[in-house]
Amino acid sequence: MTSEAKTHAIDIASMQRGESNLNLADEEITLQVKDLRLSYGDKEALHGINMDIPKNRVTAFIGPSGCGKSTLLRCFNRMNDLVDSCSITGQLLLDGDNIYDRTVNVADLRRRVGMVFQKPNPFPKSIYENVAYGLRIQGINKKRVIDETVEWALRSAALWDEVKDRLHESALGMSGGQQQRLVIARTVAVKPEVLLLDEPASALDPISTLKIEELIHELKNDFTIVIVTHNMQQAARVSDYTAFMYMGDLIEFGATDTLFTKPEKKQTEDYITGRYG
Amino acid sequence: MWPVSATEKPIVELENANYSTHISQQFNEELEKIRTQMLTMGGIVERQVSDAVEALLTGDVELAEQSRRIDQQTNAMELMIDEQCTTTIARRQPAASDLRLIVSISRAVADLERIGDEATRICKMAIELADSGVNQRGFQEVRHIGNLVRDMVKDILTAFARNDLEMAYRVAKQDKNVDQEYRTAMRSLVTYMMEDARAISNVLNVIWVLRSLERIGDHARNLSEHLIYQVSGTDVRHQSLKQMKQTVQEESEGSLQDEGNEE
Repeated sequence: MTSEAKTHAIDIASMQRGESNLNLADEEITLQVKDLRLSYGDKEALHGINMDIPKNRVTAFIGPSGCGKSTLLRCFNRMNDLVDSCSITGQLLLDGDNIYDRTVNVADLRRRVGMVFQKPNPFPKSIYENVAYGLRIQGINKKRVIDETVEWALRSAALWDEVKDRLHESALGMSGGQQQRLVIARTVAVKPEVLLLDEPASALDPISTLKIEELIHELKNDFTIVIVTHNMQQAARVSDYTAFMYMGDLIEFGATDTLFTKPEKKQTEDYITGRYG
Repeated sequence: MWPVSATEKPIVELENANYSTHISQQFNEELEKIRTQMLTMGGIVERQVSDAVEALLTGDVELAEQSRRIDQQTNAMELMIDEQCTTTIARRQPAASDLRLIVSISRAVADLERIGDEATRICKMAIELADSGVNQRGFQEVRHIGNLVRDMVKDILTAFARNDLEMAYRVAKQDKNVDQEYRTAMRSLVTYMMEDARAISNVLNVIWVLRSLERIGDHARNLSEHLIYQVSGTDVRHQSLKQMKQTVQEESEGSLQDEGNEE
């Protein structure tokens, strides 16, 4: 906006919410999905998905159970490789390189694309060792580097103040919400580019859920975040972009503000207003 | 709930059964109820407007007093419907068309209540002017503009009941005619006051009435903007008629029958 928008020294342009005019076309793209098809045996679960996941933004996948949103999320770090009957065609580009290329080192890919699951799964080790684990398997041994990274990761996960006096106690003694933030700290400790969150708050109480959501908002400055959630209000609260999936197809993908007030497709409208059934 | 006689039903049967397709039957009922109550309130307000004009033109003080009392009902209804909108937002977190429906109704009841206030103002003038006879200077203009805005209020409520955007657009367009008629009437009344200074006091009262009628027309236009937002998702407030027409055309896929120009 120009200075004409200023009335009595009030800058009207600055009153708008900072991110209310997001546009996919203006974004830098981290992950590109090109005609991705995935089958479990003879059953096709994803029917040719095309989408661009923007960098340093939160992208949410919503849709009814079995629509393929978790399947798609798991494609982003090749978790589906672990399923025997699973076959994939199409391309998935991370910063322009196809992650399904033969030469890709899957362990390295999973360092670049970290994942957090529905139920917190800390290792039965101390809080400190949980976060340090990823660094140690990368061969980092310097205590000073590990100390610094653990503190940084715990601070990033908004957990430092709660655990700094008991770093060497077992992680299993923490509450569910703390465990989930610990798992997020463990994931960010290896400095991934993309953070995949599969229902990260569905097993947590409302306060822990809000802490995780606040954390997601903080983390997007450093990472590209993709979140799968059944909770539509959560998607509306945390994400910049939302993708609605149904029966293995991407039905609508756009700015969250638009999708929740004025969706283009009737199927999206029916789902977000609770008419799907 | 509130003291409304059985005759004051919504003017037309509700169409568009889209509100009755939620998985939650309770949510359906809540939305349906808010919508019905808004239309009931609209019916009362419409009656207030026609009674006010009628009372003024016929010098019927009793009708004016009666109409003034009804205004307390519309005030109470505004509060009640608005509270239900707030409660529904808090409990259901509505999205998309449901959210727009609630926002639009919450705005609409405020405009309806203001229309009621303007009608009450006309009633006060009717009581003051009752002694000066029914052939008061300017009454012809009041009758004409009164008929125009009464039809606007009636039409916009019908449009709300049917989700009819083309009708809403025609109401908004009619507001231009009302403004035009208002300016013309104002010019002739000013001329008359210059000719006959003894009439100034009475003519001023008529001017207040015309002013109120003109404001009712503005509120009817606001209502049509709320309906267009509710149905299409495009906020057409503070936009020209031309832009409004374009939105309505996009929504109705170009079937809008409108021959006149909109400027």
